[in-house]
Amino acid sequence: MEQIRILLVDDEEHIRLLFKEELEEEGYSIGLASNGFEALEMLKVGEFDLVVLDIKMPGMDGIQTLNEIKKVNKEQRVILCSAYGEFKQDFSSWVSDAYVVKSADMRELKDTIKNVLGV
Amino acid sequence: MNFANTLGKVIDISHSNLEIASRINAILNIVSGDLLFEEVLVYTLDKDRRLSCRFMNRSSRLFDLLNDYRSHVGEGVVGTVAQKRSPLFFTSRDVPPRLGCLFYAGLDDVLPRYRVFAFLPLADDSFLYGVLLAGSSSKEAISSDEKVVLSILSRELGGILRTYDLLLSSKKQITELATLSELGRILTSTMEPHAILENIALITAKTLNAWFATIKLDLAFIRFDGQRFTSGTIASPMEGQVLDLENEALRLGQPVFRTDARIGEGSSAPPLFLFAVPIVAKDRILGTITLCLKQEEQRDIADDQGDRYLVNMIANYISSGLENVLLTIKLRDALRELGDAQRRLIENEKMRSLGEMMANIAHEIKNPLVVIGGFTKRLAKTARLDENEGRYVDIITKEVARLESILNEILNYVKEAPLLFELCDINNLLDEILYLLASDKTWAHIKITKEYDAHLPFALCDVQQIKQVFINILMNSFEAMRGKGTITVGTEQTTSEEKPFLAVSIKDSGGGISPAVMDNIFNPFFTTKEKGIGLGLAISNKIVTHHGGDIEVKNKPGEGALFVVYLPSQSRTTKEG
Ligand SMILES: Nc1ncnc2c1ncn2[C@@H]1O[C@H](COP(=O)(O)OP(=O)(O)OP(=O)(O)O)[C@@H](O)[C@H]1O
Ligand SMILES: [Mg+2]
Ligand SMILES: [Mg+2]
Repeated sequence: MEQIRILLVDDEEHIRLLFKEELEEEGYSIGLASNGFEALEMLKVGEFDLVVLDIKMPGMDGIQTLNEIKKVNKEQRVILCSAYGEFKQDFSSWVSDAYVVKSADMRELKDTIKNVLGV
Repeated sequence: MNFANTLGKVIDISHSNLEIASRINAILNIVSGDLLFEEVLVYTLDKDRRLSCRFMNRSSRLFDLLNDYRSHVGEGVVGTVAQKRSPLFFTSRDVPPRLGCLFYAGLDDVLPRYRVFAFLPLADDSFLYGVLLAGSSSKEAISSDEKVVLSILSRELGGILRTYDLLLSSKKQITELATLSELGRILTSTMEPHAILENIALITAKTLNAWFATIKLDLAFIRFDGQRFTSGTIASPMEGQVLDLENEALRLGQPVFRTDARIGEGSSAPPLFLFAVPIVAKDRILGTITLCLKQEEQRDIADDQGDRYLVNMIANYISSGLENVLLTIKLRDALRELGDAQRRLIENEKMRSLGEMMANIAHEIKNPLVVIGGFTKRLAKTARLDENEGRYVDIITKEVARLESILNEILNYVKEAPLLFELCDINNLLDEILYLLASDKTWAHIKITKEYDAHLPFALCDVQQIKQVFINILMNSFEAMRGKGTITVGTEQTTSEEKPFLAVSIKDSGGGISPAVMDNIFNPFFTTKEKGIGLGLAISNKIVTHHGGDIEVKNKPGEGALFVVYLPSQSRTTKEG
């Protein structure tokens, strides 16, 4: 069975490292991007089953990145993963497939990923 | 006998600046000594025009007997002389004169000792001031020379009495003026309004020598702590009478009085005089001023000239000043309200900037926290740790989780979610919440009593948020009761400013909120609990306020707390509607 590929977008290096290790442990193959532009570039060259997207990032924030991604590919599945739930009220975040609040406890993120991927 | 000498002495004295009573007494002594009368007495007219024996010569014996009795003009010998304004003389050959109209106990034994009596009116051309009585036991008759001397004397005495009268009335005018000027000073002072009113009561009571003076304001339009200002004490049996009289004065818009007021039940208590005067400003009655006087004073009050006139004058005088005072109060109230509003505004502003700051800090903290917690968990999974190390890692993980939840709450508090309004059956919602909470085994010994209004209208609200409110309050009750007690949840319809509201009350038996912290419980991060965050009520309050409602706390220290949540309701929407 082919490995599921997830693109992890976050401006904080340690978050990327933590999420990568945790998700690889779940059997996913992880690609990393540290901002929105990088993420869009990577999506052009490679296919990802899912993007896990931070919101607060310098330059292009997660919501803008989300919109760009969906413009190119409406089918691309994206989970917004922010430190806070406040962006849930931002209508433009609704085009994402899910919204998870970052936590040291990764269970919610992992469950949500499974849900969105339908596995 | 040298009459000229006697008259000379009398005139000297009458023109001296001795005090008036002393002048009269000195003259009576001279007459007694020089003209050989053992009794030389002066009757004067009281305010109610009755004659009473007021002055005497040094050796008088009759004075004590006559002094008790007052006779009307026209009554008895003294009264007749006064009425006719002409002298009467008696000798032992005449029938012994009856001095008043009635029989004096003791007088009958004494009178036969005297052989002559002279009664002379004390008057000037227009007024009668009193009657002179002279009696002697050594004379057979009164000579015509003596009569002339006595009549000159009586004119002189009349003159002195007139001065006395003038002096009294000017004294009274001075008192009045002094009272009014004192009142004026107070009314225009910068004293607190209640101090002004208390002072007015005090001055009025003092001037009129009253048991008490009480000012009652009858003003619906003004907020005033305590509408009554009293100098002296209103004995409790009298309170009702005072109130009745005040109401009558208000109703009639004119002074009313009663003479049968009593302090005690028994007949031994002397009747008192109650007098209530409305305080009338330009277009309305501001209240009443009521006085309680001893009965002797009643005589003055009852006639229009005396103290009653003074009370009316005081009432008139204070009414205009009082209006200014009341306007000042109104102004002050308005200013205070303005100040409150301003303070609230600043408070809100402060909270907002504090909120923004907190949000920023929280943002900065959350990511590192996730990293710390996340890697600690990984450490726990992958590293071989001994028992102690395992516990440490566990503690770090738990503390991180706690910090995370604090940060989440801060941001929930700071960021206002827009409301998603829907019609909500609050009774149902409460049932749902209570079912949920009570199914936890820690609630096993919590008794829940429901007192619902079965016809409660719908509330238009954000159900998720309102649910949060009830859960917060119920959790607080639960926490206050330490696992055991009764929670009473009730709903009812009310109105506020004619708009329909529904009230949800949540009462517990958890001992209540300590009064010391009462003012703080709605402040964010105020908590008395070891594990509390102190946002429960702050958030609840914010949510309810956003809904246009209000949370009210009724606390019974030692018993429990009662929280009432008011939410706007659909006026006539029933469950079917
Ligand atoms: N029913 C109650 N009985 C007694 N004290 C109460 C009650 N409700 C609130 N309080 C007091 O008010 C304080 C503030 O309550 P609030 O719900 O805001 O915070 P908390 O319960 O301490 O913490 P949190 O709800 O955030 O976990 C409480 O700490 C407690 O002292
Ligand atoms: Mg970020
Ligand atoms: Mg609480």
